[in-house]
Parts: sequence; C-alpha cells; structure tokens
Amino acid sequence: MDAITTQHKLSNEEIFTILKSFITEVIGEEFVEDMDISRESSFTRDLEMDSIEIVSFSEKVKSHFGEHIDFTGWLSSMDLDQLINLKLDDIINYIETCQSSK
Amino acid sequence: MGHINPTLSLGAALLGRGHRVAWISLDASLADRLPQGGELLLVQYDQDDVAKKNSEQYLDQITKKNVSGIESIKFLYEEVLIPLNRFMFDGIITILQAFKPDVIINDHQLFAGAIAACRLLIPYATSVTAPAAIKMMEDLPGIHEWEIKQIVGLQQELGIPGDRSVATSEALTLVYTSRHFFGEMSLPDHYKFVGPVIQNRQVMNSFDWERFRGMDKHPRILVSIGTTFDHSYKKEFFGKVIEALGNEPVSVIVVSDTALFDTWPDNFLVQEKVPQLELLPYLDAVVCHGGHNTVCETLSHGLPLVVIPIAYDQSHVAGRVIHAESGVRLNYKRFKAVHLKEAVWDVLSNPAYKAAAQRVRQSFEQAGGAATAIDLLERLAAPPPAGGLAFDRKRFYH
Repeated sequence: MDAITTQHKLSNEEIFTILKSFITEVIGEEFVEDMDISRESSFTRDLEMDSIEIVSFSEKVKSHFGEHIDFTGWLSSMDLDQLINLKLDDIINYIETCQSSK
Repeated sequence: MGHINPTLSLGAALLGRGHRVAWISLDASLADRLPQGGELLLVQYDQDDVAKKNSEQYLDQITKKNVSGIESIKFLYEEVLIPLNRFMFDGIITILQAFKPDVIINDHQLFAGAIAACRLLIPYATSVTAPAAIKMMEDLPGIHEWEIKQIVGLQQELGIPGDRSVATSEALTLVYTSRHFFGEMSLPDHYKFVGPVIQNRQVMNSFDWERFRGMDKHPRILVSIGTTFDHSYKKEFFGKVIEALGNEPVSVIVVSDTALFDTWPDNFLVQEKVPQLELLPYLDAVVCHGGHNTVCETLSHGLPLVVIPIAYDQSHVAGRVIHAESGVRLNYKRFKAVHLKEAVWDVLSNPAYKAAAQRVRQSFEQAGGAATAIDLLERLAAPPPAGGLAFDRKRFYH
C-alpha cells in the first residue's frame, strides 16, 4: 500500500479505507465491529475518541502520508470547536486536496 | 477537587519553617483540612448582592454535570473556570489588600489569583496540579491556544491589557511531577518539576480498618473515579466494576456512595471517602479515572494502574501512564466488564507494570518534593538584593 501512495493519487474510497483501518488500530477491532464508521462520523461524538486516541490516530496518518501532506500543521490550525466537530470526511477531503495540488 | 492537595502539603512545610500561610477559598469546609497554624480567608460577598449569590448557586450545580472527551474542555472553561474566576476576583483583591502577602501561590486554573497578583504587583508562583495540560500544548496546540484566548479575555476584562496569559507565573511555576513521567518537551526555565507533594496532609476520612484487615483475599485493589459525576453515570460504571471483579479472588476497595446499589459483592469494601494515602501502602493496584493526584499518589507508592479517563486532561494523564509503561488504559465509553477484568489481572500478574511504576516512584523521589518547592518559594519571597551576590563573591575570591 505504501508503494501505491507514493506513485499514484489515491481515490476518495481508498483514502477512506486507509483511515478506517487506522481507526480500527487505535480503538481495537472488537469495538469497531459494533460501530458504523462512515464519512460523516465525527471523532469525538460518533467514534467517542478521546484526545489521546485522536493524537495516536493522527500519528498514524502522519507516518503514512508524511511526505505528501502537512497533517500536523493542518490539525494544529484547528481550534477547539473545529476539533470537536472533526469528521472523517474532513480528513479525506484534505488529503485529496493535497494530492491534487501536486 | 484535588487541586488544593499539593498546597496543603506545601503549606504544612512552609509553616514548619516559620512562615505565615493562608488559603483563599470559597469553601468554608477547607478549614478542617488545613495544616495546624494555617489560616483560611474566605471569599464572601454581601448577602444583598443578588448577582454574586446566583453565581455561587450556579457554580455549585454546574460542577456536577456529566461531560466527557474534548468537549469537556470547552465546558470546563466556558461554564466553570471563567465564571468561577470572574466570581472570585473581587474577593481575592480585597483579601490580598488586607493580608499583604510576600508571595502568592495560585493554582494554574485559578488565574484570578495570578491576575490579582499582577494588578497588586505582588510576586506570585503558580501551582500546576494538572501538568498534562502543558503536554497538551504540544499534542493538540489548537486546544491550548483556545484555552489561552479564554484566559486572556478574562484578564482584559479584569484590567490587564495585552494578549499574553499570566495564568502561569514566569517567576516560578511548580509542576508536581517528574520529567521522567511528564515526558520530553522543551519548556522555559521557570517550569520546575518538583515531583508530587503529598506529605503532611491531615487525615480526614475515617475508614473501616478492621473490616479491611479481615479481608483475606489478595491482591487488594482500589477503585476510585473521583466525585464529580452524577448518579446514572456512576451506576453504570460501578455496575461494570461489580461484574468484572465481584467473583474474583481479589479484595476491592471502592470509593462510592454505598447507596448506589442495594448490595455489593462480599469481596468489596465500599466507602464514600477513603484515606487514600494511608491505604496505598497496603494495596497492589489502583483503578482510576486518570486524575493527576490519584495517579501520582499511586505511582509514588510504586503501584501499577488501570486508567479509565473520563474528561478534561485525564486522557493525557492516561497517556503518560501508558508511555511510562506503568499501567493499562481503557476507553470510558467503550469498555465492558470483561475488559476491566482482563486489565486488572494484566497489571497484577505482569511484573513489568510494577517495575515501571517503581521507576516512576524513583524519579518522583529524585525531583525533590516539598523541600525543593519551598526553597524556590523562599527565593521568590526574598530575592537577593541587586548586586549583593557579586559583592559577596568578590569578598570570598579575592
């Protein structure tokens, strides 16, 4: 998968799948089974992730897409309300934007 | 709230060195917990002041609300800290003008104390009872910036212009943990990691020691999730604790309202309050919500933890426990009884957790504690006269 990311632009669907796998790694497979993870899922309310889980999710995003996007900078620019409302779709769109601007 | 605790130990040590020490608070019951010789200066307003009276009732109710996750930080500032500090400010100014202290110690969340110190030009030190909040600056800087904006807004309202927060003193900020536990982060020199300060506290809570000694099942664990959550949350939480540990070969000390359930398992001892520091030497592990005080007191005794963070900075405190390898973390919203059972047995049976907890204890001991904190405070109260040191040196070295 890493090879693909460095050579091709990922589709919206591919990015979604990768992010979903990171969420599974962070909160654990057995919990994810009971959850309906969609693009509209918010990290805080729907996925019930606390700040340390959001940090560890963002570390996975960083190490996967590291060279191509400034995820840390993007996340840092968010204020509290934006973080509370952050949805999966926001990240997918951000990654897509970074890819197409290359 | 446990934020007062480190100042009780510091105060006892300061009194021991012959200083005069007073506490400014809204809470009259604090008088019973102060070290001998300590003075309580209550923030009180005229009965006729309807606005202030309403605020007092408001603050009393609001602190019992259920909040969790990142949203709880918004709640903490907007609904609790800003109104509380605004409410206390006038009273603090009046008290300080009469008491005329040489040094003020403000809790980092009681920024009204720092603002008052700045307004009256009195040196102040800051007591950081929730150090994970500092670490959060690095992990999620957006949250920290938002917090600073709230504090600065209040500062401006109370007469301090500019957009730099004065909440933590640039002369001395005491952080009650060790560098080892806190983790890597570059911070200015005025942040002093003195370790937890937990000695010399008044023992307030009676405890059924006889029943405790009669509990023959080992190991022994303590379960405590603080006091600020309402009935339905507690019922759900302790229901899982009962399911997880009710039939296990362990003795369980639970900090809870005993009326929460009609009956508790035989291997449980339930009390609304416990003398935690006196109890810890006899325990093998602690299950808690990741409050800084309970975590540090547990690690000061070299015991492993199961942390189930609920709100505020607790998620980050839990992160430090995991980073130091001294415990296991569960998600408060998601965990089931079986996960708690597994986590408890994991920290009890794998000696690596205890060994890691003991490394943290060692780092706490090396941090210096109350004695180091007091040396720093005394220096702040009576700075050497300008040029005095240089003059002394010349005398000795020429």
